[in-house]
Amino acid sequence: MSDVRLDVSRQPGPRWVLPKGLRRVPEGLDELATEHLILNMGPQHPSTHGVLHVLLELDGEEVQAAEASVGYLHRGIEKLAESRKYHQVGTLLDRADYLAGLHTETAFALAVERLAGIEVPRKADWIRSLTMELCRLASHVVWAGTFGMDAGAMAPFLYIMRDREALLDILEAITGGRMMFNYVRPGGVFADLPAGVDTKIRAFLDVFDTYLEETDALLGGNEIFQARIKNVGVISRDTAMAFGLAGGTMRASGIDFDVRRDMPYAAYTELDFDVPVASGGDCWDRYVVRMEEMRQSVRMIRQLVDGMPEGDFTAKVPKVLRPPAGEMYAAVESPRGELGIHLVSDGGPTPYRMRLRSPAYYNLAITDEAIAGSLIADAVVIIGSLDIVLGEIDR
Amino acid sequence: MNAAGAVAIRILAMLLLLLVNGVVLIYMLRKVLGRLHIRIGPNRVGPFGLLQTTADVVKLLTKEDLMPESADKWLFWIAPFVVFVPSFLAYLPLAFGPDLAVTRLDTGLLFLLAALSLIPLGVVMAGWASNSKWSLVGGMRAAGQQIAYEVPLMLAVLGPVMMAGSMDLSRIIEAQKNLWFVFPQFIAFIIYIIAAQADTQQTPFDMSEAESELITGFANEYGGMRFGFLFLAEFSNMFIVSALGVSLFFGGWYVPFLTENPVALSLAPLIFMIKTYMGIFVMMWARGSLPRIRVDQLLAFSWKALIPISLSWVVIWACFQRLVLVR
Amino acid sequence: MKIWGTGILNGFRITMRNWMRGPITVQYPEQRLELPERARWTVTPKYNEDGTPKCTACLICEKECPDHVLRLDVSKLEDGTKHIDKYVYEVGACMMCGLCTAACPFDAIYMSHEYELASRYASDLSRVLLEDVDTASPRRAKKEETDA
Repeated sequence: MSDVRLDVSRQPGPRWVLPKGLRRVPEGLDELATEHLILNMGPQHPSTHGVLHVLLELDGEEVQAAEASVGYLHRGIEKLAESRKYHQVGTLLDRADYLAGLHTETAFALAVERLAGIEVPRKADWIRSLTMELCRLASHVVWAGTFGMDAGAMAPFLYIMRDREALLDILEAITGGRMMFNYVRPGGVFADLPAGVDTKIRAFLDVFDTYLEETDALLGGNEIFQARIKNVGVISRDTAMAFGLAGGTMRASGIDFDVRRDMPYAAYTELDFDVPVASGGDCWDRYVVRMEEMRQSVRMIRQLVDGMPEGDFTAKVPKVLRPPAGEMYAAVESPRGELGIHLVSDGGPTPYRMRLRSPAYYNLAITDEAIAGSLIADAVVIIGSLDIVLGEIDR
Repeated sequence: MNAAGAVAIRILAMLLLLLVNGVVLIYMLRKVLGRLHIRIGPNRVGPFGLLQTTADVVKLLTKEDLMPESADKWLFWIAPFVVFVPSFLAYLPLAFGPDLAVTRLDTGLLFLLAALSLIPLGVVMAGWASNSKWSLVGGMRAAGQQIAYEVPLMLAVLGPVMMAGSMDLSRIIEAQKNLWFVFPQFIAFIIYIIAAQADTQQTPFDMSEAESELITGFANEYGGMRFGFLFLAEFSNMFIVSALGVSLFFGGWYVPFLTENPVALSLAPLIFMIKTYMGIFVMMWARGSLPRIRVDQLLAFSWKALIPISLSWVVIWACFQRLVLVR
Repeated sequence: MKIWGTGILNGFRITMRNWMRGPITVQYPEQRLELPERARWTVTPKYNEDGTPKCTACLICEKECPDHVLRLDVSKLEDGTKHIDKYVYEVGACMMCGLCTAACPFDAIYMSHEYELASRYASDLSRVLLEDVDTASPRRAKKEETDA
């Protein structure tokens, strides 16, 4: 073995390589140049929703370029899924998008059912839709509160927590867990609706109507808030198409697409609901679209509770599922957009590959496009309006 | 007791008032914000949480004194004092009752506003000396904001000064025996409360310490009792502008229909404090209910809306008083 | 016609209205919320009326657990039935998914409502559910029946 020694004396020193798009010095200036300030809206920050790292290049208060750097919450969910049996994968997927666990579980269950040819009973479909709409309310309500906090209003955040507590109590009565539900399994759901839960839901919805209008008046009716978010972060329809945005962000830019209506699953073919679409593409439109989505969810939940059919809550599935070899993609409309599971099976008891198509990941890609040219305060508001959850971005 | 001793006692009393105010106001803020946000606020430390601030002060005193390594040591050390001392100076001309002021200055109001103008200097020092980009942004915003909002503040107080004919706060209050100045000077009052909220960096004008963006803005790198000073100065500023508003617009210590009543006059400091705390309650109510205005909108609002309105009001009232209300 | 500023004043009215509604705080630990029946917390063994555990050491729960939180040390007795030396449960690692209780064919464990698990000692993160007991063995029960 020869004596190999690394000659460190001639190694170049550390060089700071900036991500693409960020410049240090503005172009085309004479010798008296001012540098742009590069600021880390770091992983620890009260306003990046989760551990998000955004690099901002500032000229005073104005943002010249922005770059989102993700990966701080990566837990290897897709890899772990390769060593879990099909009924155990739900425990992993709850934690991907932690605000919409039921949606992710449902997407996976749909993929497995379509691959294995399992027929889900009607009642299970209705229970899935009911719990998913309740979860959507819980997620949108968190978005509304944190969006208000980004703009400075502390009160709505506490008010939505009151509503979220009631929702989580209902979901705990149905599923057994407040946030990590582990309820929707391939074949149906884990257990039937408990007795008395429909009274609870109806009582909650009656109060929630008032509280929702109050939160809307407190935020949307406030002139300061309107001045803060109108004409901020405009995303045109073509940009939205080009970047593949999803969910409320996309619908606020004028693209009329909703997985529940256009690629229906569960009980959505039998429900009566509208899909709100706006055309401006600024933060105000995103706000209005999501508020209206909440009202539509309330409408859907009322229909679901009133029309809940009788029947089995799950189909008969073997203890250890072995779907035939093949691949399948199934999508649901999570609160953030089209959430898809691409499942590749090799016939064994565990998935060969499971890929989670997370809508927030694509939504986050327009940070540079949307934030460049606005102020730091606007950057915070724009990121808040995208409704991102780092759990599903980083998986 | 010689004159110097009397003055020293008054100054010490004022310092004590400042400290007690700080303690009470911090507790009041936490409880008021708590109730507005459908929660309780502190209620474990002491009965109803009354000892919470004391516990916090003890905690701040025992904390490690950190200074960033690359901070400008002299500026970093002195910045909390530059923020705190003018705030204390502004207490001096306040009149809490007939003959109950630390000093009776003929230009008391001017002295108070001048003292308040020194505070942005300390804020910028704190932001710069911390050698942190976030603090710098906060400090710069604070400087721009406070300078922009001091002009409408000063213009708004000219209305009561014109009506009373003096800048001495005691005399202004005495001129409100028959009519509180808030009624004829309503527009000046509106401008005053907006400018006061902005000058003390309360939501909706708290850009310099925008909690969801800059965490604590210019005070990011401050810990322990240094932070305690900055924090205390913020609350004593709130008290000062509220007390000033009460003196200028709400008749100071006078109770309507009881202006000659000796009992009411002997309770003058209590009435003054009650009115001031009611004003502070409204400031806290605004703090808990409103979102923040963006920094460019803030400055635009001041320069393009408040200053023209307050200037016009001064001119209109001056003409009105000189030509119509000929005494 | 809406005057600029009415939205702000409406905001004031709403926050005061919420103040008047009173706080929603549940003052723990003096007041506690009641958990719904299905709430999943720690895994707890079930017992028969005579105090013997229902567990038969079939090891299905150990295989089902996605995070390998349950561990059974089993030994064989002379009459062929099993004896549980230790049934260890890592509470600190458990995610309370309930897959073990769902899979148990003998209904021998259930998810209790014990949520006050915070502790100062790392030793509390691991529990022994059953120690040094005979399993509930159907073969032994039948033998005892035929003996009696």
